[in-house]
Amino acid sequence: MRTYLRLTSSMIQMLRRNVALVLSSLGLGIVSILAFGLLFGNGGNVTPQLGVVDEDQTPLTTQMIQSLAHSTTVHISIGSRATEIDALRGAHLNAVIIMPAGFTAALMGGNAQMPVYYDQSNPTSWLIAQVTVQQVVQQLSGVHLPITLQTQAISVHNLRTIDFLTPGMIGMMLMWANLGIGTILVSWRQVGIMRRLAATPLRPGILIAAQMSARLLLSLIQAAMLLVIAMTVFKVPVYGNLGLLAGVVTLGTLTMLAIGFIIGGLTAKPEVANAITFLISFPMMFLGGSYFSVDNAPAFMRPVTQFLPLTHLNDALRQIINNGASFAAIQNDVFVLIAWIVLGSLVATRAFRWV
Amino acid sequence: MRISHENPSVGGVARVSGATLTRAAPPSVVRVDHLVKRYGATTAVADLSFSVRPGEIFGLLGPNGAGKTSTIEIIEGIRTPDSGTVEVFGLDIQRQRRAIQGRVGVQLQSTTLFPELTVQETLGLFGSFYPHARPVRELLREVALEEKAHAFPQDLSGGQRQRLALALALVNEPELVILDEPTTGLDPQSRRALWDIIQQLRQRGVAIILTTHFMDEAQILCDRIAIVDHGQIIAEDTPAGLIALLGASAAIAFQVVVPTGATAPDLAMVRQLPGVEDARAGLDQLILYTRQTEPTLIALLHLAEHAGVTLEHLQLHTPTLEDVFIKLTGRQLRS
Repeated sequence: MRTYLRLTSSMIQMLRRNVALVLSSLGLGIVSILAFGLLFGNGGNVTPQLGVVDEDQTPLTTQMIQSLAHSTTVHISIGSRATEIDALRGAHLNAVIIMPAGFTAALMGGNAQMPVYYDQSNPTSWLIAQVTVQQVVQQLSGVHLPITLQTQAISVHNLRTIDFLTPGMIGMMLMWANLGIGTILVSWRQVGIMRRLAATPLRPGILIAAQMSARLLLSLIQAAMLLVIAMTVFKVPVYGNLGLLAGVVTLGTLTMLAIGFIIGGLTAKPEVANAITFLISFPMMFLGGSYFSVDNAPAFMRPVTQFLPLTHLNDALRQIINNGASFAAIQNDVFVLIAWIVLGSLVATRAFRWV
Repeated sequence: MRISHENPSVGGVARVSGATLTRAAPPSVVRVDHLVKRYGATTAVADLSFSVRPGEIFGLLGPNGAGKTSTIEIIEGIRTPDSGTVEVFGLDIQRQRRAIQGRVGVQLQSTTLFPELTVQETLGLFGSFYPHARPVRELLREVALEEKAHAFPQDLSGGQRQRLALALALVNEPELVILDEPTTGLDPQSRRALWDIIQQLRQRGVAIILTTHFMDEAQILCDRIAIVDHGQIIAEDTPAGLIALLGASAAIAFQVVVPTGATAPDLAMVRQLPGVEDARAGLDQLILYTRQTEPTLIALLHLAEHAGVTLEHLQLHTPTLEDVFIKLTGRQLRS
């Protein structure tokens, strides 16, 4: 225990003096929030799925629906209010527009209300849907029609891009900061630090535990910093329980560390470890849903995205921060992360070597 | 060629006479028995055996690649042998590694430390790996690094870094200290400073295993020396005993310059000279080992005159371990 505490405090000391590492992983998150928050709008090539409910059933509404059906920028499904909103809840749709009874009459009268339900967890495709809806409506008449879109989120909170990005950036930061432990381990081995430690009675488990503890502390601080910046500078609301959030950050950190230790055990050169880390991180950063939702990924990609721990980390963080989710709502993600930690640690322990 | 193996009175006591006698006369601190270590097709250590007595400085002397480092890394518990056994304090290194490591101090051939920790922090950290650790201040004083307590390893000179590595080896008040080429790359002053510290350790009764390829270092520091070549011990004795192997009181080294038309005297011819015990062709010189310096020297000069050759860089010196090594291997140590 004495060894563990001393080693942990030394590791913290070392991290504290390694300012570049701390700043680079934190910086990436903040820069990403800034850049994507500002540049947002040209949202990728995801074709939004729009649910259309026609409760008015007039020639005008039928014509509008037909026009939408021919649009290449949006896929529509037509149904009742209940079925379409169900589909939206099941993440099969990005938004549902409703033309209520009396819609045509109200339109002629000069002020029509069009309720729009949207999936707040995916603002990208929702914005596309919104633009599409407006374009379609304008095309129909050639003039600006007096339609007011009454946007209604399925969940309670209004979600901006930056709100959506913040949890993703925390997840990404945790990945970048902690997968790198592998490269550090390999470089310690290459320069002979590990060899010197191997000549002492120090147990590898204590070394790993101390490393993990120090990294965990750093990650919690970094996550808190990123969150505070998001909350104060960008006014990102945090709806969930901070304790639960810290718990998920802990699980995410340990998952990434376990993978990092595996990389460190299986490679001999720091450059190789670094390359492997990048090879894992870059695809995972995008496929894991840090920058955009992967809910709409093609079916063949789903097994991949569902396999990646970052997907579950981001999802859990998003559920807590954006939706104020309770433990019950994220228990699947938590379970997957715990499985990663347990299996990853087993492999990492087997792969560990001093020289 | 094996000239002298382990002294039977050392390893033999423990092995033959069992528990009672072992307690009366302390067993070897280290006993290496038929050790073999291979790396792929290369055999680094080929059936190597020796033992280290309490309180002595035991030197492993040999050229780079002779298998010295592999041998001691097995004793240190960093590497595992392919066959053979190593016992330290009567414990088996493979089965009781940590128990042994707690009582041994180690200085690796090159020690790299955490670049983010100061000298003082590093010593404190390593101390925490052991059940009992010496105070950091005391260690710093012993290796004269008190002024560098708050320096980072990369800001230390080569000599200071080696002293820090030595201090790390002393952190647990070890009963055995293993030093792998502790003075390689150091200036003469730093070397002497390190020798002083090592000699003080012996005075405290600490057994020391030392590898080196410096003959003078081995000769000055070691109580006993094993000369290692190609993974095997080719001779083992006290420095004086090894030199006595030459059977010569002096070594005469020279280069032969042969003008056109003259023929150089060959080894067989110089071996016939009076008093000559042995003759060797070194890198670019001939070396004669003689029992009678003066008659040999006179006869050599006559021979040169007769053959019409000149002798250059003629040197006369007391035989050293270097000469022993050349005699045993036909090669110079630092080539």
